[in-house]
Amino acid sequence: MTGMGMEERILIVEDDIETAAAVRAVVEGMGCSVDHCTTLEEGVAAAIATPYKVIVLDRMLPGGDGVEAMARIRAGGSTALILILSALGRAANRVEGLEKGADDYLPKPFEPDELRARVRALLRRGTMQVLDNDLLAFGDLEIRLKARTVHVRRAHVAVSPKEFELLTFFARNAGQIVTRMQLLENVWNLHFDPGTNVVDVHVGRLRRKLEEAGSQAIQTARGEGYVFAPLPGVAG
Amino acid sequence: MALAVTVLSLGAMGLQYRLVEARLMQAQKALLAADLDGFRALYDQRRIIAVRQAIEFRLTASGSDEVLVLLDRQGGVLAGPEKGWPVAVAERGESFGAEPAEVIPESGTRWLAVSWEMPGGFSLLVARSLRPVDDTLAAMRRGMLGLLAAMLVAGGLVGWLAARSVMGRIGRVNDLADRVAEGALDARLPGARSDDEFGLLETHVHGMLDRIENLNRATHRLSDTIAHELRTPLNRMLQKLQRIDGQEEVAEELKAEMRQAIRMFDSLLDISRAEADQGTGGGLVPVDLSAVLAEVWELYDPLAEDRGLVTGATIAPGLQVLGDRNLIAQLVANLMDNAIKYCAAGDRLTLALTPDGDRHLMRVADTGPGLPADMRGEAFERFVRAERDRGVKGHGLGLALVRAIAARHGARLTIPEGAGGFTLEIHWPRLQQSD
Repeated sequence: MTGMGMEERILIVEDDIETAAAVRAVVEGMGCSVDHCTTLEEGVAAAIATPYKVIVLDRMLPGGDGVEAMARIRAGGSTALILILSALGRAANRVEGLEKGADDYLPKPFEPDELRARVRALLRRGTMQVLDNDLLAFGDLEIRLKARTVHVRRAHVAVSPKEFELLTFFARNAGQIVTRMQLLENVWNLHFDPGTNVVDVHVGRLRRKLEEAGSQAIQTARGEGYVFAPLPGVAG
Repeated sequence: MALAVTVLSLGAMGLQYRLVEARLMQAQKALLAADLDGFRALYDQRRIIAVRQAIEFRLTASGSDEVLVLLDRQGGVLAGPEKGWPVAVAERGESFGAEPAEVIPESGTRWLAVSWEMPGGFSLLVARSLRPVDDTLAAMRRGMLGLLAAMLVAGGLVGWLAARSVMGRIGRVNDLADRVAEGALDARLPGARSDDEFGLLETHVHGMLDRIENLNRATHRLSDTIAHELRTPLNRMLQKLQRIDGQEEVAEELKAEMRQAIRMFDSLLDISRAEADQGTGGGLVPVDLSAVLAEVWELYDPLAEDRGLVTGATIAPGLQVLGDRNLIAQLVANLMDNAIKYCAAGDRLTLALTPDGDRHLMRVADTGPGLPADMRGEAFERFVRAERDRGVKGHGLGLALVRAIAARHGARLTIPEGAGGFTLEIHWPRLQQSD
C-alpha cells in the first residue's frame, strides 16, 4: 500500500434501505469503497472474508443482534473497527455495546455529520502512529502528556485536568470535526444527551485560555461541532 | 393447641376432683350422723353410764381415726382421751349441734366433728378423722399433676414436631419470596409439589412468579421494539431533512425538535426500564459515588457560573454504592440541569455528599423558586409540570427519571420542608464490603 490515494473499504450491515443509502452516501463522500449486506449472516461472512477497515453494524437485523455477532467477527480474524449504528440508542444500550467490544456506538436517528465525524475518527485511529515521546506539537502549541502541561509560544497555559483531557482529545483528532456528543462520550465518559450546552461552556473556556495565549487552535464548525486546527491552512 | 387441650383436661379433672371430694365428705358426714344417733339411742335406754361405757369400749377398739369425748357438768372428762375436749371446739357451746358438722384442725389432721349438749349438762363430742379422705384426695391430686405434666410434655413435643415441619415448609416459600424480592425473578422451589395445601401454595406462588417474569420480559421487549419502530421512521425523516436546500434555519429547528422528541421518549424508556429493574441487583456494580458526583458537578458547574449562580460542592471522597454509573450520572445531571434552568442569577446551588450511617446522604439544594406547594406530592410523576413553568423548556420527565433511578438503586428520596428553594435528599444504600 502506498498510503497516497488509499481507498479504505467499509462494510455496512443494515437491513433498512434508506438508512443504508444514507450511510453509503456519507462514507462514499469520504472516498471509501462500500460493501453492503442486509442480514447478519451475510455480514459476518463478509466481515471474515474481507479485510475491512471499518464495519458499520446495525443491531436488530434479520438473523440476530449485531452486538452479539461482534465476537464471531473478531473470532473470524477480522481486525476491522466496529461502529454500531442502532435504534437501540438509550444510554444503557450504548454502554452495553461498548462494553461488548464496539469501537463506537451511534444511535439512530443520526445526523450525517455525526456519522462522518465518527467514521473519520475510526479511520484515523487505524492509521495513527504511536509516538515514542510524550510531546504533541502543533506549531507553537505544545502539549506534554506526562507532565500534563500546555504551552503556547513557550508560555505556560494553566488548564484544569478536564480541560487538558479535552485538549488532548482535540489534538488526537486534529484537523477533523469533533462533535459535542463525541466530546461528552470520550472526555466525560457519559452516554446520554444532557439536552443543554454543557460541553460548549467547557470548550469555550479552554478556547479563551488558548486565545489569550495567542492560539486560535479551536474553531467552531457551524452546526456540527468543533475543529482543532492549530496550523494555518490545515483547517477543513 | 396443646395448651388448649391441656386446659380443657385440667377443667375436666378439676370437676371430677370436686365431685369425689364432695362425695367423700358426704359419706363421712353420714357416718358421723350414724354414730351420734347410736349414742343418742344408748342415752335414751340407759343414760350416761351406757354412753360412757360405749365410748370407752369404742376407744379401745377403734384406731386413731375417731375422737369421742364425754364431759360432765363441770367440764371434767368422764370418758375420752387424756387431752380431753379439743381446744378448737371449746367455745362452741350449745349452738354446736349435730348439724351442721364442723371441720376442725387438730394434731396435724382435719377432723369432722359434731357435739351434743345432753340433758343434765353433759356434753358429747364425736369426731371422725378426715385423713382417709385427705389421703385419697392427695393421691388423686398427685395423679392428676403427673398426668398434666405428661400431657404438657407430650403436647409440646407433638406441637414442636408439627410446627417444625410446617415452619420448614413455610420457610421454603419465604426464602423464595426473599430471593424474588432481591431481584431473582427466575428463582423457583426445587423438587416435586406435595399433595396438600402447601403444595397448592407453592404452585400458586410459582404461577404468580411466572406471570411477573413474563410481564417484566414483555416490558423490556416492548421498550426495545418501541425504540426500533419509532426511531427508524425518525431516522428517515432526518436523512431527508439533509436534502432540503435553502431553508437551513427551518431544517435546523426541525432537527432540534426531533432531538427533543427522542430525548423525551428515551427518558420514558429509561424510566420504565429502571422501574422494571427496580429491586433487581442485576447489572449493578460497585461504583464510586463520590467520583461520579464530582465528575457531573464539574461538568455543570461552569454552566451554572456562567448563568450567575453561586455554586458550592462538598463531596466526601471514596463513598461507594452498588449502582450503574451512567444512570447515577444521569440522575445528577437532571438535578443540575433543573436547578440551572429554574434559578436566576444570584441564586445559590449546592451539592453535598456525606456518609450517614449505613447510607450516603446526597443533598442538592438551590435557592430558586422551588416547588409550588400544591405540586409537592406529584412532582415526581411523569409529565407533571407547574403551570408557571410552561415557558421553560422541558417535558416534565426529569424528576420522574430521578425517582426511577433512585428506586432502581434502592435509594430513598426526600424533599425536606422548610427552607425556600428546591432541596432534594437522596439516601443511597452504602455498598456492603462483604458483597
